[in-house]
Amino acid sequence: MMNNSYGVTKEKELIEASLNGDKNAFGEIVTRYQKMVARTVKGMLGDSVFAEDIGQEVFIKLYYSLSEFRGEAKLSTYIQKIAVNLTLNEIKRRKRFFTLFSQKANDEMYAFEIADQDTEERREASEIVNKALMAMDPKFRIIVTMRMLQGYSTKETAEILNLPIGTVLSRLSRAQEQLRNILLNL
Amino acid sequence: MIISSLDASADTIEVARKLEEEGVSFNFSQNFGDRVLTKLFSAGLSVSREVEFIKYMNFAFYRIALTGVAAIVILIISIFLMEGSLSINSFLGLSDNYDESIVCLLTGN
Repeated sequence: MMNNSYGVTKEKELIEASLNGDKNAFGEIVTRYQKMVARTVKGMLGDSVFAEDIGQEVFIKLYYSLSEFRGEAKLSTYIQKIAVNLTLNEIKRRKRFFTLFSQKANDEMYAFEIADQDTEERREASEIVNKALMAMDPKFRIIVTMRMLQGYSTKETAEILNLPIGTVLSRLSRAQEQLRNILLNL
Repeated sequence: MIISSLDASADTIEVARKLEEEGVSFNFSQNFGDRVLTKLFSAGLSVSREVEFIKYMNFAFYRIALTGVAAIVILIISIFLMEGSLSINSFLGLSDNYDESIVCLLTGN
């Protein structure tokens, strides 16, 4: 069980402690950011077991790259970039696999299970969003995930995705159009 | 709400909050954090030891590389001073003079 005794410890102190080998400090970082990572990874890959593996990879990669984190940006932004890169790599890998070995449709690539929701309406809402996201082109899906699920502004989205703001705005507009068409057909 | 959340002027934080209230939330399973820590620390690796090793390697690499470059530069300068040029023959130590003894040795005459 993780020892959650860090309370309001500042990020910088947690990072220092993690670099000194304090695994509970790193556990606190995982606790603080796992929901944020879950929104990105599951928003992109669907609510599946594969997403959980990628989520673990994000934090493992974070751990081994903590020494490179200079503190110029927020830790959340740094973690988000790792999550986005790993997720997009996973999508490309699956696309290659399914192109080579299978003719399965895009939605079959992402077997997703809806987590237990307490009401039918909540399950339905979750399912609709999941299906709509999985039907989108990955480069629009990531924009939607950042904006809609994570609540990032256009500027923050551009920073995380390392894109010009103009590109983000243009993809936002096209994503909106695509999402409208998808939701109408659901 | 989903579509309007993508308007450039939308209050994205509010949208994300409302979506979560509607049941659109993504979480990892229970004990996700414990599993991450088990994966990281069961191998007995330590970030601090690895970081120090990499630092020492970098330091050693730059020292060796700079020493090597300095040696090459000194060699080039000394060849130039001795031979008066930086031609291929200078580097190979071959002079322009015709050495009869070498020719005799090679031809057997």
